[in-house]
Amino acid sequence: MKVDHSLPLEYSTKQNGLNIFGFWVFLAAEIMLFATLFTSYFTLEHRTAGGPNGTEIFEIAPVLIETFVLLTSSFTIGLGVHAMRIGRKKAMMTFFVITLLLGLVFIGFEIDEFITYIHEGATLQTSAFTAMLMTTLGTHGAHVTFGLFWGTAILLQVKKSGLTPETANKSFIFSLYWHFLDVVWIFIFSFIYLKGMM
Amino acid sequence: MSELFPRKQIMGFVFSLILTAAALTVYFLNMSFAKGMVVLLVTAFVQALLQLVVFMHAGETNDKWVIYGKVAFMMAIALITVFGTLLIFLWDM
Repeated sequence: MKVDHSLPLEYSTKQNGLNIFGFWVFLAAEIMLFATLFTSYFTLEHRTAGGPNGTEIFEIAPVLIETFVLLTSSFTIGLGVHAMRIGRKKAMMTFFVITLLLGLVFIGFEIDEFITYIHEGATLQTSAFTAMLMTTLGTHGAHVTFGLFWGTAILLQVKKSGLTPETANKSFIFSLYWHFLDVVWIFIFSFIYLKGMM
Repeated sequence: MSELFPRKQIMGFVFSLILTAAALTVYFLNMSFAKGMVVLLVTAFVQALLQLVVFMHAGETNDKWVIYGKVAFMMAIALITVFGTLLIFLWDM
């Protein structure tokens, strides 16, 4: 395989460049997935069928913590990719571990939020509003959960084989995925929570 | 140690926190719905752009215009889907 040393490790072969581009194509499709969820949510958010509406069940504190945690994890994985580019394997792994731990904290808060909703009588079956709310949040949460397993698997590979064109490529692609989830969360934070509490 | 914390990334993080704080004004200040939506639309899309350019390194390689083009195309389709549906189902046009 031809390795081009003028490019960062994750781009150093033709195949690596194609992998990264392929992942961008996948992310573009993911934009569409979340767009359809947002579409349904906006269409149905006032159909509460006698159940609670957004203003009644949304709480600012946990939402703010989730937002801060996810923004910070997006920053730490960015630092991880930077450390990888200057060849610092240990620092890169540390940043990735911090990122995954923050992801775990995020999921913890989200699960707690869901439990609170259900106790307040807002379940998946309550109304069109709660059903779409939980489907949208749940799809994002499922992505983050999947990311935790994926990220752990990549960390194990980096630990075993070090920073090679293959592992660097996988790590970089994982960082794209993680930043993308942060972008989706920003839209959830703005147009589901803040809009709902305004 | 300092080489692990590049200025660009730190500035990106600080700016993303500022944007989040700016978005929060719709909750803490008494704003009209229209004004609040403008604030949210601006902060959310600037934040997305920031992630794309600073953290996702979208503009660094030769295929940068293919990447930007792909994302812009999908964003356009996404916005048409969202607002087209709202137009029919909520705004009754």
